[in-house]
Amino acid sequence: MTHDELEGIAALDALGAATVEEQTAFFSHFEDCEYCHEIADDYAEAASYIALQLQPVAPPSGLRSRILSAVEHGEDTIDGAITTLTTQRRMRVRPWWLATAATLFLALWGWREIGIRVLRERSISQNAEIARLEEENAMLKSQRDKVAADLGAITNANTRVFSLAGQRVSPAASAKVFLVAAEHRAIIVFSNLPANPSDRSYQLWIIRADKPKPDSGPVFDVTPAGSATLSVDKLPVGTELKGLAVTLEPRGGVPQSTNGTFYVLGKV
Amino acid sequence: MVGAFIIMTATDAASPLLERVARGDSKSFEDLYDRYSPMLYAVLLRILGKPEDAQEVLQETFVKVWTNATLFDKARGSEAAWLISIARSRGIDRLRSRRVRTDRENEAGREITSNGPISPGPSGLESAVQSETRDAVRSALSELPDAQRVALELAYFEGLSQSEIAARLGEPLGTVKTRMQLGMKKLRERLRVMR
Repeated sequence: MTHDELEGIAALDALGAATVEEQTAFFSHFEDCEYCHEIADDYAEAASYIALQLQPVAPPSGLRSRILSAVEHGEDTIDGAITTLTTQRRMRVRPWWLATAATLFLALWGWREIGIRVLRERSISQNAEIARLEEENAMLKSQRDKVAADLGAITNANTRVFSLAGQRVSPAASAKVFLVAAEHRAIIVFSNLPANPSDRSYQLWIIRADKPKPDSGPVFDVTPAGSATLSVDKLPVGTELKGLAVTLEPRGGVPQSTNGTFYVLGKV
Repeated sequence: MVGAFIIMTATDAASPLLERVARGDSKSFEDLYDRYSPMLYAVLLRILGKPEDAQEVLQETFVKVWTNATLFDKARGSEAAWLISIARSRGIDRLRSRRVRTDRENEAGREITSNGPISPGPSGLESAVQSETRDAVRSALSELPDAQRVALELAYFEGLSQSEIAARLGEPLGTVKTRMQLGMKKLRERLRVMR
């Protein structure tokens, strides 16, 4: 490529009108050619003359103070000022930005509200679960205290222990009675009793030496394995207590036994 | 420099404001703004048409000048040419990105009037020099055939490529390219003589 051709490209390039191919050809030569450097500078200078034909126009005075003020506060602030100006202007001339921003805001707000509602519901559910667990915990604590008390009674050296034996209708049944005289109570552990029908309960009878008829005691059901544990309070513990027996009665118990069929029976 | 010539001349050469701006002299930056902002604003109005666009790009231009003043090399060209090239480049970039070409000529107008006070603006001597330079440039451009001048202005102020200018004018691409090259060559020679 001749220098005349390169000069033609430099002229076009000064106007920003050279093609990519022309620029490539020119600048591949340009680096090593001082003459072309000067030609390019000359044409760049000449191109700027085209601008000089225009009548100068004063920019708004506010722009001057804005730029100078920004420069005083440093480079970053200048960029910030431009960003602000650009943002303000874009928002002014492009209302769709507002619509987009508003839509985005509403979407985020809605999403946040849904999130809060879900969290509230989750919190309510968790509070209910906590209340249920606290109730269960209190019940377990009560049971634990009772078991501890029962164990304490069973293992006490002053506790009297005797057995109730299975009778004709339930020869395999038995019961162990732990009598805590000081507390007027007994803990009775039943084994191998036949499963009671749903409309009937087992009932304990307290046979006293001083009464012709036994006192009615608490009612109870047995597990499918035929076991049950009963705690009986306010027992007569002196010579009045003669023995204990169990019958099968209508569900809920009766004041007087409706039959003479004993399932377990024993003397103190 | 081959046929070196300097625009803005006496003021430019005697007061290398950009060298002081490059050293962080804010007072020189103010002087630079006062001296060149009307000219650069006129260029940007001509390119972009809309005052708000022109003001925004003018601000970008001066920030770039403040941060990049060390890149100015007075051996390669004048202060004014360097500033104009920055403003024009950013203006064309904005024009292309926003494609705000419609109604530009109507809004820019052939005679643009001031929309604000020039304060403080170029000094009396500087104004006189600028006015003289402007007249010389107008004279040089007026000596070009219309076809060449129009092609140069379409490329310079509208950022059109050779093929876009050819399409706009309905002329063959080769013809347009030749007109642009001849126009630039004559302008360069004419202004060199003027110096």
